[in-house]
Amino acid sequence: MDVRFKRDGMTLIVSIEGEIDHHTSRLLKEKMDSKFIMEPVKNMIIDLSGVTFMDSAGIGLIKGRMDRVSSVGGKISIRNPKPEIIKMLKMSNIYNLIS
Amino acid sequence: MQPVNKMRTEFISKSVNEGFARVVAASFVAQADPPIDILADIRTAVSEAVTNAIIHGYDEKEGIIIMECLLYTDHVEITIEDFGKGIDDIEKARTPLYTSKPELERSGMGFTVMETFMDSLTVESVPGKGTKVHMTKQLEYR
Ligand SMILES: Nc1ncnc2c1ncn2[C@@H]1O[C@H](COP(=O)(O)OP(=O)(O)OP(=O)(O)O)[C@@H](O)[C@H]1O
Ligand SMILES: [Mg+2]
Repeated sequence: MDVRFKRDGMTLIVSIEGEIDHHTSRLLKEKMDSKFIMEPVKNMIIDLSGVTFMDSAGIGLIKGRMDRVSSVGGKISIRNPKPEIIKMLKMSNIYNLIS
Repeated sequence: MQPVNKMRTEFISKSVNEGFARVVAASFVAQADPPIDILADIRTAVSEAVTNAIIHGYDEKEGIIIMECLLYTDHVEITIEDFGKGIDDIEKARTPLYTSKPELERSGMGFTVMETFMDSLTVESVPGKGTKVHMTKQLEYR
């Protein structure tokens, strides 16, 4: 798992690569939260184009970040999930975050 | 009906083994040459069951997990077993969105994912003794 950050105005763009499961989501969550606090941003875009596997830990991860971003009045969205990841996203209302 | 092939893998409850278990199960089933989306579903279901053994069964402490796969000509049967704390109320545990660990950002969707991605799911559990999750999947489209 690898994660890269970019800032576009008030939006933090998070590009995740590799597999999201319980094992990788712990570090992912830490990195995303500390970047979100450090940078002058309020919105978040999560780019999933490089994600090759995701289980329900990914739902928990994205929901948790959604709560965090909403708590500061920001917006969160998901970009470019692969078909097998879409199947997992459809299991939850975070499917509606795909832009 | 006799399985055409069988395997049994034992590993300890380290979270890095979630990925290990997925790879092992998928490469064992791959010998039957199933469509890739069926293989992806199996990978996901195995990940859910193994993760549950680690975070719920053993509360992230060390314990043993056994994964068994029986391969038949048209389907696979996968069993994932732990010897951890067990489940008091299986029906409640299987309810979508139910989680006993919301503080860990669990979504309570693991069993629902296993049910949706596989063709059948059976859960056996004895409180204080452990949990056995049994799943089957057809390896070709019907
Ligand atoms: N192997 C197990 N041993 C003990 N309890 C378990 C086990 N597997 C599941 N449970 C119980 O069943 C509940 C539901 O499991 P499920 O996988 O559906 O959700 P979760 O693990 O809490 O969240 P998620 O899988 O979405 O991250 C768990 O919260 C836990 O209380
Ligand atoms: Mg689970």
